Amino acid sequence: MPTKILSVDDSKTIRMIVKRTFAPYDAIVSEAANGEEGLAKAAEKPDLIVLDITMPVMDGVTMLTKLKEDPELKNIPVIMLTAESGRENVAFIAKLGVRDYLVKPFKDEQLIEKVARVVPLQKKVA
Amino acid sequence: MTQTPATFNLPAAMNQLVPHVFSTMLTLEAAPASAGAPPHGERVCGTVGLGGDTVSGSIYLHLSEGLAGRATAAMLGLDDASAASASDVNDVVGELTNMIGGALKSALCDAERPCAMSPPSIVRGQEFAIEMPPGLRSETFLFDCQGDLFAVEVYLKLN
Repeated sequence: MPTKILSVDDSKTIRMIVKRTFAPYDAIVSEAANGEEGLAKAAEKPDLIVLDITMPVMDGVTMLTKLKEDPELKNIPVIMLTAESGRENVAFIAKLGVRDYLVKPFKDEQLIEKVARVVPLQKKVA
Repeated sequence: MTQTPATFNLPAAMNQLVPHVFSTMLTLEAAPASAGAPPHGERVCGTVGLGGDTVSGSIYLHLSEGLAGRATAAMLGLDDASAASASDVNDVVGELTNMIGGALKSALCDAERPCAMSPPSIVRGQEFAIEMPPGLRSETFLFDCQGDLFAVEVYLKLN
């Protein structure tokens, strides 16, 4: 069964990068452009959410808080993406209950490595 | 990069973080350039603002239209830069600006200058100049990306 990944980011570029990164894997990547759309898509129970922090409409921290309040969704693992690597920001993210975080800029391999630590990833069979 | 408020070294920070963003996200080398003219003609310019109790300012990434297209093709994995739409280019330049701004914000926060950053926005045009209120320190950093010069303008006030 393919691994279901939800990419929540207001940047179409980042969503395309996430989609491209997992194209060689047995994975289905769905997309949402903000936290509100992300919550709606999370109801489809993805195996993992890759979540941006700064977004319009609803930011990643608010979406994560709402996710953790929902008994049906609270166990979906979340990897946060952030453009800010400062000590204070990293400490803040650690307190949110995420599985891991990745600082932008990042290489495809770093994203694969982080995701593979949380959910099974199999290369597609040719 | 750990610095104290008194020793915050903006040129060192920019000359390290801009090439890092370009090499990581675009696999394009961007080396600090000591001389040359910033891009003129049609430009795509990304900007983010920084604000906090002891920090105010903004960052502008100026790319020629050609380099913005190349960057978009590299970031999105397109074979041909002309296949990128204006919206794709805007999104990629905005994301590059966001990453450069985020890295500078992180360096400032680690130097005990906490601040927040605005989402990126884009300006396109041929002949435009940026005017800032007095009191902001202005520095322009030039980079050579495999033959194309681009500029990062930083306006910063550290109280």
